[in-house]
Amino acid sequence: MKNRILIVEDDHAISDAVALNMQFVGYEYAVFDNGKKVADSLAGDHAYDLALLDIMLPGIDGFELFSYMEKYNIPVIYMTAKTDSASEIKGLMDGAEDYIVKPFDMLTLMVRIEKVLRRTGRLNTVYRVRDIEVNSETRVVTKAGEEVELQPLEFDVLLTLLKNKNLTVSREQLLSEVWGYEYAGETRAVDVKISSLRKKLNLGDAIRAIPKLGYRLEER
Amino acid sequence: MKLWQKTSLICIAVLLFIVSACSAVLLIHSKNSILELTYSYARDKQKSLASSFSEMAGYYLAEGDSKTVETSLVNYCFSRFADASSVLMRGEETLCSGVSIDPRALMPLSDGEYGARLTEREIEGRNVLIVGSLVIVKSTPYAVYVVEDISTTYNSIVSLAWTFAAVSLAGILLGAGCIALIMHRSTRPLTSLAKTARQIAGGDYSMRADVYTQDEIGALAGDFNLMAEAVEARIAELMETAERQRLFIGGVTHEFKTPLTALLLHSRMLRRANMTDEEKDASLEHIESQCEWLERLVQTLLKLITLERDIERRPCEVDALFDRVRQNTQKSLADRGVTLITNSGGGTLDCNADLIQSLLINLVDNAAKAYDADAADKRVLLTFSNNTIQVKDFGRGIPKEAMERIFEPFYMADKSRSKKAGGSGLGLALVKRIADAHDAELTVKSGVGKGTTVRVRFQ
Repeated sequence: MKNRILIVEDDHAISDAVALNMQFVGYEYAVFDNGKKVADSLAGDHAYDLALLDIMLPGIDGFELFSYMEKYNIPVIYMTAKTDSASEIKGLMDGAEDYIVKPFDMLTLMVRIEKVLRRTGRLNTVYRVRDIEVNSETRVVTKAGEEVELQPLEFDVLLTLLKNKNLTVSREQLLSEVWGYEYAGETRAVDVKISSLRKKLNLGDAIRAIPKLGYRLEER
Repeated sequence: MKLWQKTSLICIAVLLFIVSACSAVLLIHSKNSILELTYSYARDKQKSLASSFSEMAGYYLAEGDSKTVETSLVNYCFSRFADASSVLMRGEETLCSGVSIDPRALMPLSDGEYGARLTEREIEGRNVLIVGSLVIVKSTPYAVYVVEDISTTYNSIVSLAWTFAAVSLAGILLGAGCIALIMHRSTRPLTSLAKTARQIAGGDYSMRADVYTQDEIGALAGDFNLMAEAVEARIAELMETAERQRLFIGGVTHEFKTPLTALLLHSRMLRRANMTDEEKDASLEHIESQCEWLERLVQTLLKLITLERDIERRPCEVDALFDRVRQNTQKSLADRGVTLITNSGGGTLDCNADLIQSLLINLVDNAAKAYDADAADKRVLLTFSNNTIQVKDFGRGIPKEAMERIFEPFYMADKSRSKKAGGSGLGLALVKRIADAHDAELTVKSGVGKGTTVRVRFQ
């Protein structure tokens, strides 16, 4: 089951970018640019694991939309250009899970989404690429239904790539997330784990080395 | 020291001086009168004693009386009139005396001194008045003295002085109290004025002096209140300006954030993500349009900020001006299916053509945006007559509650629609600034569902 995200944002340039990223990493999503339309649609379809709400919206504003989300038990992250702490406090006091201020970075948004999903027990812990299934909780990896033995570090590298599927992850990022900050600079170690992952899982063409940037697990 | 204290002290000092001086003068005068009275009483007494004695002795004495007879007769005659203060002497010899002193030693009388003489001495702490004269009885000179103890007189003068002092002191104290009270009361409005001034200085600009006297202080309080009013108005104006600027800057940052977010997201995505060519294209398109939008925003902001009051004006053909407006708005009007109808009347206008052009482009654009897509009759009228440019549409109109805010930077009556239509929320703010720079009067008439008419009347 893929996680399903509700995106409510009246600026299409932003909502398109967010939606595309959802698609990359394997979330399902629905996009609305009007608060009223969202409110009206919820009665029919409210199977969302999370809502990303802009605050200044035509129709019904984000703060008002919150009560609808509450009704269907959908956790909320606000995305807004409002920087005043009064808005932030209001948002969080009402019961929003998080609050992200524009301009924001997509990775930050993704991490926050994952955190909220995990906290609310909705996070899909099974990641898939091709015939490979990775369970982030049990740490079991299967390929075509058969379990594959991975070293802990190999598993963590694979999971990081899966969480950022179709997005480039730099060697530095992998190092800091898998090995920890004290290994900064030893990018050789990353390359070694990547090549063993490619061999063990037959992902030679799926894990692409992007020049100057890092590695990307591709599947469209 | 406070003014009322200072003034009171000065007044009290003056009072003290005047009362003391008056008392002293009165006292000296009284003393002299009393002494004069005492003296004349003593003189009269001596005179009557001397004359009575000499008359009687002249009557009783005869030529050829022996010394003894003469002495006893004289003594007899004198004692008939004498009292405790009388003294009779013949030469060095005291014949009769009721007092313990020798007046002759204190006031000798020389021969031939028949008029009365008077002297005052202090003897053993007592004031003694001596009046004496010579009388001739049967060719023998006798000295007749009256010696009065006038200490009581002096005592009464001293007690009089004390009474004077006591009364003066009481008067001064009473006067001082009255002065202090009056001064204190008369400066109370000043104290209240000072308190108000301090409150105003402390930031409470709405405070006013509560003084309604008919004197100079009342006038001062009136002027003070006028000043306070001016200060309050000025402060309010400054606060308003500061608040407007704060809002403006807040608005600018807010307006920049959304396009910046989109730019950041799309450019990062283009670099990092595994995108199809169509996705890349869509992303680039977003970047392009966001950049264009930012560019427009910056241009308008720049115009708004750099627009000065002293602009260069030149007479220009309104016809040519309208033509340029038409060229610049052609595309957006055509996209919306709106027709621009102009009538310049062939006039000329003394203005800065570039600025008026952007003013008109803004107004015409707004007018075109006032039509819903499915509106039937989409016309924008741009006319010039009587030094007035008029832009008129028959679109949806401006809601009443939005009317007074439409010239505020970043104010949009319908934000989502305005943004979709490419509005920055700065257009009318710029229009207002340009009109102000031309000292032109800007009026807007609008009714919901009836359309909007904007007039720019030049002087």
